[in-house]
Amino acid sequence: MLKYLVRRILISAPVLLMITIIIFGLTEIAPGDVVDYFRSPDLEMTAEAEAALRTRFGLDQPAAVRYFKWLGNVARGDFGYRFTDGEPVAVVIGRRLNASLLLMGTALAIGVLVGVPLGVFIGQRQYSFWDFSLTGFSFLGISTPSFVTGIVALLVFAINLRWFPAGGMRPVDSEATLGSTIHHLLLPSIVLSLNFIATFMRYTRFSMLEVVRLDYVNTARAKGLSPTAVTWRHIVPNAILPVITVIGLSVPTLVVGAVFTETIFSWPGMGSLYLDAVRGRDVPLLMGMNLVIALFVLGANILTDVAYAVVDPRIRYD
Amino acid sequence: MWNRRLTLTILLALLLTIVPVHAQDAGGGGTLIGAFDVGPGGAPKAIPFMDTAGRTWLSKIWSPLISWNADMSALEPQLATEWSSNEDSTVWTFKLREGVLWHDGETFDADDVVFSLNLALNPDAATNFPGFSSLSRESVASITAVDPYTVEIVLNSPNPRLPFFMIFAWVLPEHALKDLNPADYQTTDWFFTNPIGTGPFMHDEYVADQFWALVPNPNYFRGAPKLDRLINRYFADETSALLALESGEINFTYVSGDVALRLQEEGTYQIYDGPSGVTNYFIFNLRNPVFQDVRVRQAFLYAIDRKAIAETVLKGTATVVPCISAFPSMWPDASELNDYAYDPAKASELLQEAGYDTSASFELMTYYNNQFHLDAMAAQQAFLAAVGINIVPVAQDVPTYNSYFYTGEGWDISYRGVGVNVGNFPFSFYEPGGQPTTDGAPLAGQLFPELQALIDAARIESDADAYLGLLQDICKFQNENALEGYMWTAVRFGAGTSNLQDFYWFPAAGGGPYEDHAELWSVTE
Repeated sequence: MLKYLVRRILISAPVLLMITIIIFGLTEIAPGDVVDYFRSPDLEMTAEAEAALRTRFGLDQPAAVRYFKWLGNVARGDFGYRFTDGEPVAVVIGRRLNASLLLMGTALAIGVLVGVPLGVFIGQRQYSFWDFSLTGFSFLGISTPSFVTGIVALLVFAINLRWFPAGGMRPVDSEATLGSTIHHLLLPSIVLSLNFIATFMRYTRFSMLEVVRLDYVNTARAKGLSPTAVTWRHIVPNAILPVITVIGLSVPTLVVGAVFTETIFSWPGMGSLYLDAVRGRDVPLLMGMNLVIALFVLGANILTDVAYAVVDPRIRYD
Repeated sequence: MWNRRLTLTILLALLLTIVPVHAQDAGGGGTLIGAFDVGPGGAPKAIPFMDTAGRTWLSKIWSPLISWNADMSALEPQLATEWSSNEDSTVWTFKLREGVLWHDGETFDADDVVFSLNLALNPDAATNFPGFSSLSRESVASITAVDPYTVEIVLNSPNPRLPFFMIFAWVLPEHALKDLNPADYQTTDWFFTNPIGTGPFMHDEYVADQFWALVPNPNYFRGAPKLDRLINRYFADETSALLALESGEINFTYVSGDVALRLQEEGTYQIYDGPSGVTNYFIFNLRNPVFQDVRVRQAFLYAIDRKAIAETVLKGTATVVPCISAFPSMWPDASELNDYAYDPAKASELLQEAGYDTSASFELMTYYNNQFHLDAMAAQQAFLAAVGINIVPVAQDVPTYNSYFYTGEGWDISYRGVGVNVGNFPFSFYEPGGQPTTDGAPLAGQLFPELQALIDAARIESDADAYLGLLQDICKFQNENALEGYMWTAVRFGAGTSNLQDFYWFPAAGGGPYEDHAELWSVTE
């Protein structure tokens, strides 16, 4: 396993490098740069001022020089400063990453804790009332965009009922506490979790239906094991493998964030930051964010493989 | 039983986490929470000399020498109490307010102004945005402190409008920043950890991406503010700020015209309005021979019922303009202007006379992506199609738009906006080497020597009335020649809760700064 992990990590290094080259290339061919962003169409800017700005951001240098300079700095742990407001990239990513991990992690956890058991539940009750009802819900959950559920949730629970705040991560006129954080976190994370719940429930149900008809399950039942024991000792561990893949594929969303939900709930996470970076042609921030996201995606893939081995003793990578 | 207990415990725990969303401070003027930087005129991060906007917030901490007055029609003394120049406007003297203290108790004087203006002109520090830092460095010969409360600025070329450039000249404390390397100005965290200004409020707490809280400055030169706390809460967009307003979490925000009308009808909010100072218009690329024909340009104006769009599509929140100037004081008498009243027959006739090819199609490029302007463009498209002018609106983001617009190539017509007021007339938009700029591009000034002569005269005119007269002459010329397709200037709105007292705010162009007397603001229970 250790040898496999080392090999995977070594293979990931050139992949990571290629990703940075591609992203940098894309920022180069995208129309406009940060000076075009700063240049208000409503106001005048002299040619002298424009040239000074380009020099300040190093945009007067060839693309290759700028890329290798960035790479060299990153190798030394220096992610540089945001073009648009001068904040250190590592600081802003760290801050936003925490916010996204909290929001998306909570949503994902709710998704797993609710979606998987519900999938197991209806997987054993095919074509029942519960199966039809929850399958209907899952279709709704998968197909309804989060900005719709987000707006509806805000209208109902923040404006009409005033049970939850209408956005933000903490109160602005009093100290942040664990309770206030949970209070701010609940509504956006529930909104985001609806899609996770629906997805995990669907996959778990499908996988359960596949496994529940297999011979070894019938054998277990014939041996006189209780239904609970059959379900949790024989069906679920085998049915859960494809679900782990789906959960693993969802892990990168923890760092990517959720643009619409973060925007609607004014949750300062990675999704809205990425949008800001693209809008402002903020190359250092874009590069830094993509590097972090790529690291998470590659890491999540490796972790999924490890999880397979842990859940299924037949799988060996050595 | 155990399950019930557990469920009840969990429910109780959840209920305990639900604390009141907006706990008003008791006594004093209360706590005012606003979305200062939502909508046009806002900037997500406010640092003097670094932002093109956000000045309604900046002016709470720092003060400029001069600001606009409340309706942005005249200048208002701030740290400078009076100003004057020599006859040719090359030497300017600014008298400073005495007895002003910085938030840390140090005394404000002329050295702070000299330090700040030099910093604004330092290419390593400032970002060359509008205002003093946009002056050509070569145009400023010296900035000196004549005495502790007098600053003299000597220019290499006349600039009768220098006081208007002072609107954005934030004065920073020399004693706190003198050791800061100008190159580090943009990356320092000083502005968010220990900012010191002369404004009505002092820094209290800054939480990145979430809010910035201030407390009153007891030594403010217009008197100690009534509020106990002033908080700028950050929002990702206008909708989320509006939801926060309607849920009672904040006291005011920017609202679009249609929302302002809805809230006004509801009667539960106070609506504030003010001029955008921005004229929306079609700019024709005069490099295209089609648009060098005045009849074609005039046909655009006759073909579009601008008044109907302003009244219906824009719900009466915009006023039709006769030229590039947004303010009526810059227009000549109506009798001297062509109102280009909706006349599709006249438009068709002009097009026919000009031999306009009705099979031609032009993309109408814009950087506006909000519904207000998209609706207006859809209406323009329909009106123009009725007379045989085919345009296709194409909305892009600002960097994409700017990347080609200023090259003067790759576009024929653009729907855009330009900020125009008495102190900030966009002369360079009409001059060779100006905007949009490419060497040898046939710009308005080159095509119209009469216009260029008016611009040359206005640039150096030091008499205020004569200057205004020249601006009116330019307006008349533009109107007569339909140099551009002048549409309208809009009103911008802010909405505040009914418990705000003596409060005034609107999303001014660039955020002002304008005199809002924040020291008088208060919030009742």
